[in-house]
Amino acid sequence: MLPMERRAFMQGAAMGALAFSVGGVDVLLTAREARAQGAAFKTLTPEQVATLEALGETLVPGAREAGVAHYVDAQISGPADNALLIARVMNVRPPYANFYRVCLGALEKACQAQTGKNFAALAANEQHDLIEKLRTNKLEGWQGPPPPYVYAVMRGDAIDVVYGTMAGYEGLGIPYMAHIAPEKRW
Amino acid sequence: MVAPEKVDVAIVGAGMSGSIFAAVLAKAGKKVVLLEQGPDWQLGDLISSDIWGRRIKPTTAQVVLQGKNPVGYGFNFGHGTGGAALHYFANFPRLLPSDFKVKSQYGRGLDWPISYDDLSPYYDKVARDVGVSGDDKAEEIWRPKGEAYPMPPLKSFRHGQVWLKGFEQIGIRMVPAPVAINSTDYNGRPACIYDGWCHVGCPIGALANPQVTYLAEARKAGATVRPFCTTTRILTNAAGTKATGVEYYDEKREKQVQEASVVILAGAAVSNPRLLLNSATDKHPKGLSNASGLVGNYVMTHFAGATWAIFDEDVQSHMGITGAQFMSYDKHPKTSHKDAFGSTFWVAGLALKTSDLAGFANARGDLFGPELAAFMKRAKPGLTRVQGFGEEMPDIENRVELASEKDDFGMPLPKVTHSYGPDVIALWNAILEEGVAAAKAAGAKEAWPARPVIPTIHMTGGTIMGTAANNSVANSYGQSHEIANLWIGGAGLFPTEGAANPTYTLDAVALRGAEHLAANWGTIAN
Repeated sequence: MLPMERRAFMQGAAMGALAFSVGGVDVLLTAREARAQGAAFKTLTPEQVATLEALGETLVPGAREAGVAHYVDAQISGPADNALLIARVMNVRPPYANFYRVCLGALEKACQAQTGKNFAALAANEQHDLIEKLRTNKLEGWQGPPPPYVYAVMRGDAIDVVYGTMAGYEGLGIPYMAHIAPEKRW
Repeated sequence: MVAPEKVDVAIVGAGMSGSIFAAVLAKAGKKVVLLEQGPDWQLGDLISSDIWGRRIKPTTAQVVLQGKNPVGYGFNFGHGTGGAALHYFANFPRLLPSDFKVKSQYGRGLDWPISYDDLSPYYDKVARDVGVSGDDKAEEIWRPKGEAYPMPPLKSFRHGQVWLKGFEQIGIRMVPAPVAINSTDYNGRPACIYDGWCHVGCPIGALANPQVTYLAEARKAGATVRPFCTTTRILTNAAGTKATGVEYYDEKREKQVQEASVVILAGAAVSNPRLLLNSATDKHPKGLSNASGLVGNYVMTHFAGATWAIFDEDVQSHMGITGAQFMSYDKHPKTSHKDAFGSTFWVAGLALKTSDLAGFANARGDLFGPELAAFMKRAKPGLTRVQGFGEEMPDIENRVELASEKDDFGMPLPKVTHSYGPDVIALWNAILEEGVAAAKAAGAKEAWPARPVIPTIHMTGGTIMGTAANNSVANSYGQSHEIANLWIGGAGLFPTEGAANPTYTLDAVALRGAEHLAANWGTIAN
């Protein structure tokens, strides 16, 4: 990580936001804000972003707008020691970018084999059916980490951005009650 | 470059056991240095968020995990000062007398070389040092009498209270859980404010993490912490009879040697055996303190059988503490469950947050999409969880070894192999059935067991204590059988683990060892 990026990250960590680049300028935003402002992706390809957003939305409604792809991209683009992903506590071995590349690729491959379409192009009910097969380890021709494990990790990311934020608590009517509140509300 | 000056004590790891050794020895006038692999966390770093809280846990970049039930490394271990005790729940149950004599009493597992009575005074001392809230009188239906806890129990909340009737009806008595969290102001630290963020680090100092207890005392007495320092070898003299210091890489990734009169390994139960194995010499070809060949062996974890339930009232499960409001040893006798072996320790009243592994959304890990969204709304008022911790017997096949893969400094990674045997599976199933029965008896409108994954929680063993060099790695104080000035701290010393959360016992063992070392310094130090 470059010194400037590290400073931005550390400052972001203190504030509860992440560093994103919008129009070539580094800014601190939540993942939701980053998506709304069209912040640039650092690691994920446009195809991976489309898959991850569709997957996140299928797993947890609201994950797309909550910026699940920006969140994951920011986390896999820095040193693993700084990553906040649930992958960290689920024994996913860094570098985390590899895990997402392999899993998203495996999902697309399985999806193409079964439907002839990209995952993002499927109707919502078709996406749901495919993820049910992922969860229950019934996806034929899967080549990647164990499907129920992939389901659990990806679902964890979507839960983080939708329910793990201060806005998520508010939406459920649960008082957040922070000792040290993340200023950017997550 | 100038080599660091020789010190009296070099401690590898600034978690709970390292902090205890540092506090005792620094207060005894010794020059103490703690070498910590991770950052030096301050209370102000502890943001109340499941997401940000992951920073104080390690990644699995530096470990190889295998076996049928790989150790839950990322979730359970620490990263930086405070170690795992920076994010522990501060549940403070103790082991019971039979936990120390499993082999003698049941013909299974191993015996400790000490008894409950040897450790009992140190449980009391630790309670005074760190502040424990609980009801000692209520606990004494299960254990020998000790000193009164310094503080009364914490407040309880509905998400704990709703279980009491159910457990009583299935014959399990619940009493207030002992916790290392202040119910009143104590030793200059404030009382708990019950906001349920213990698991990401308590920044107000109400919970007894090392930063506000032993590590603070150690620093006050002059001990120095060096963060971002990775220890790679314990150095010994040519005869192999004494430790002379440690080799480490500093925060600039430059190789250093820290000479010391005494070396204490106080890393996690994975890193202590790794260092012993990686410090082999011609005099110790299998690694240090490894004449028995047992370094790395007998690794154990706990498993929790969790039951979720929804009650028809607002139980406010976001309030309270992450640990437990109530606990029971009624299923502690190791043959309590038919066709299973091992102790069970029940807890109820654990505060819940929305995300992370133990949060609301993972109460039904099978749900996704609109069904998950509906569940979150439906479960919010009445969701609560209980769990029984189960004991795994020591198995020599569960072990830490050196992998062929190396880290950035050329040190082999630790390879941890862990699989549960049939006893564990049987006990886990029995615990799950018991939890669902308690929920139904308590009047829950829905109840379900947390399946299908059996968790691996805490980690003990790997550098077990025993009576001699042919059956163990260290003596009951944590002193190597083979190298008198090489010491070990932490739950790796446990030959059996009981079912209780390990930190209170870890503290008592470390305090007993540290005081013994300080009292016998002249005959031990190099």
